[in-house]
Amino acid sequence: MMNPLKIAKQDARLYMSFMYVTFASLLVGGLMGLLQTLARSGKFTLPFNINYYTILTVHGVILGLVLTTFFIIGFQFALMGKTVGISDKQRKAGWWAFWLMLVGTVMAAVTILVGQANVLYTFYAPLRAHPAFYIGLALVIVGSWVAVFTNFRQLYVWKKANKGQKSPLLAFMVVINMAMWFIASLGVAASVLIQFIPWSLGYAETINVLLSRTLFWYFGHPLVYFWLLPAYMAWYAIIPKIIGGKLFSDSLARMSFILLLMFSIPVGFHHQLTEPGIDPTWKFIQVVLTFMVVIPTLMTAFSIFATFETTGRRLGHKGLFGWFKHLPWKDVRFLAPFIGMVAFIPGGAGGIVNASHQMNSLIHNTIWVTGHFHLTVATTVILTYFGIAYWLVPHLTGRRLTPRLNKLGIIQSIIWTVGMTIMSTAMHIEGLLGGPRRSNFSTYAGGDQVQSWIGYQMAQAVGGTILFIGIVLMVYIFIQLAFFAPRGVEEFPIAEEEVDAEPTPKLLENWYLWIGITIALILFAYTIPVFDILKHSPPGSVPFDWPIGRY
Amino acid sequence: MAKSTKQQLEPQHNPSINLKGTLIAVMLLGVFILATWFGCYYLFLSR
Ligand code: HEM
Ligand SMILES: [Cu+2]
Repeated sequence: MMNPLKIAKQDARLYMSFMYVTFASLLVGGLMGLLQTLARSGKFTLPFNINYYTILTVHGVILGLVLTTFFIIGFQFALMGKTVGISDKQRKAGWWAFWLMLVGTVMAAVTILVGQANVLYTFYAPLRAHPAFYIGLALVIVGSWVAVFTNFRQLYVWKKANKGQKSPLLAFMVVINMAMWFIASLGVAASVLIQFIPWSLGYAETINVLLSRTLFWYFGHPLVYFWLLPAYMAWYAIIPKIIGGKLFSDSLARMSFILLLMFSIPVGFHHQLTEPGIDPTWKFIQVVLTFMVVIPTLMTAFSIFATFETTGRRLGHKGLFGWFKHLPWKDVRFLAPFIGMVAFIPGGAGGIVNASHQMNSLIHNTIWVTGHFHLTVATTVILTYFGIAYWLVPHLTGRRLTPRLNKLGIIQSIIWTVGMTIMSTAMHIEGLLGGPRRSNFSTYAGGDQVQSWIGYQMAQAVGGTILFIGIVLMVYIFIQLAFFAPRGVEEFPIAEEEVDAEPTPKLLENWYLWIGITIALILFAYTIPVFDILKHSPPGSVPFDWPIGRY
Repeated sequence: MAKSTKQQLEPQHNPSINLKGTLIAVMLLGVFILATWFGCYYLFLSR
């Protein structure tokens, strides 16, 4: 294992820039979330005649697309800088990535805020937003590609300088995640550039709706793994260090990332199970491929438990579960991600329900789905990101996570847990009772069933309010860590291998093989259905502006 | 740490390492997933 490098000041500035955008997004997006839950309670009307779907679009785009992408790219740059290093040229490229993404974000955000893009973060055709929205999104993606190729280059340069050595685990994981992101975002980029932009500008009269949705979900499922893998990086390679243990298995960690890469993309149809126009056979095949994710997921769970148990037993804890006691519950760098791991148990179980065709019909487009991904992305992923930020931000700014800030962090984690348990549980139940997602409060002309939803919507408003308090506290902690905490050195924790660890098979670094299999699986799962879509599509759709309040 | 030393070491497994808790924890996880799935499946059938 190589010794980690030191992060220079000018590199830290680049990584921190991504963090500023992350936490600014958290505040803006969180406020929208609060407003949504209040509006849906039926007791509160949005001020200034604001359209519910404007704030919902801001919420989804800013939290789901912007916050996540900025955090991930900043964190991954820091991991690469720490493990394989960054050159002046690569840092410059990093700044290009940052500015392209920021300009794109601002363009898209302003377009949404002025009410010209109430299309929600999935921007389904034939709703048509102002072209600036799509162009902004395209810039974010292109900016992220600059980061992709910079990260690839960083590992390549390191490999050349360290012939025959295996790459540092975290750098390997970053490259897997970026490879996945690149392959996946080609789909959405194609849709935005070839379909949406010309159509929104009026150069193309119609759009192939089914094709655009298929290309979106070709990207949309790997998108959620793109959020999750950085959390896994922390679970595999950082948390063991924080709890005073060692990496459980380098090979297992790499294999699980490879499996996640292979099974992340050829599965988008599980979001389109109710879609007419796709042959059920292909839906079935993609659902089977979806379920393969159980393997790397349980490998991850096994590895995490094993790290906990090995470390605990080394410290002399006995009994079947005695080792649970040794875990550093008072260290927020551990506690926040740990809560994230726990949330992933119901989150993952719910995901398996969602992906099962019959049961999907039970919950499709209900608020259950929203409850599901507020457990996965808005708890598992985000609490792990917070857990990373508690040490990464002070490490980069040359400050310390003081006992007081640590304590505030613990309070933050608890607030989040309470708020999300209330909100997400209420969403799950309301969804099973048929309550729709993506919809403002409505009594639906007094339908009976609606009565059964209202109590749960009130509960969501209570949970949402608690969550928003948690967001304000988190932003306060971030500002403290970035600007005011006492100067000092905060550790960048990276777990080491056991002294007697078995060597990692070289095969695991055979990029041609793994990317080759990934592409083969994609071609297998998508070629025929896409060909069918192109060949048998009904006439395309003209744009619709009025349903989203554009005239 | 140089790689060569690592490869020379016979992979010696610590005989005291005990992962019983891990095994049971992962099994419980599997049971939870199955219970959720069948619970929802039952709901689906009953509607
Ligand atoms: C204060 C905390 C939060 C609250 C109160 C909240 C509330 C909500 C509500 C009520 C909805 C559904 C509205 C509807 O379908 O009509 C929603 C959707 C969504 N939320 Fe959150 N949320 C919060 C935090 C987050 C976070 C941290 C993330 C991601 C990191 C996130 C991502 C999303 C996404 C992607 C959607 C889907 C938007 C759509 O369907 O177009 N939320 N949120
Ligand atoms: Cu998916």
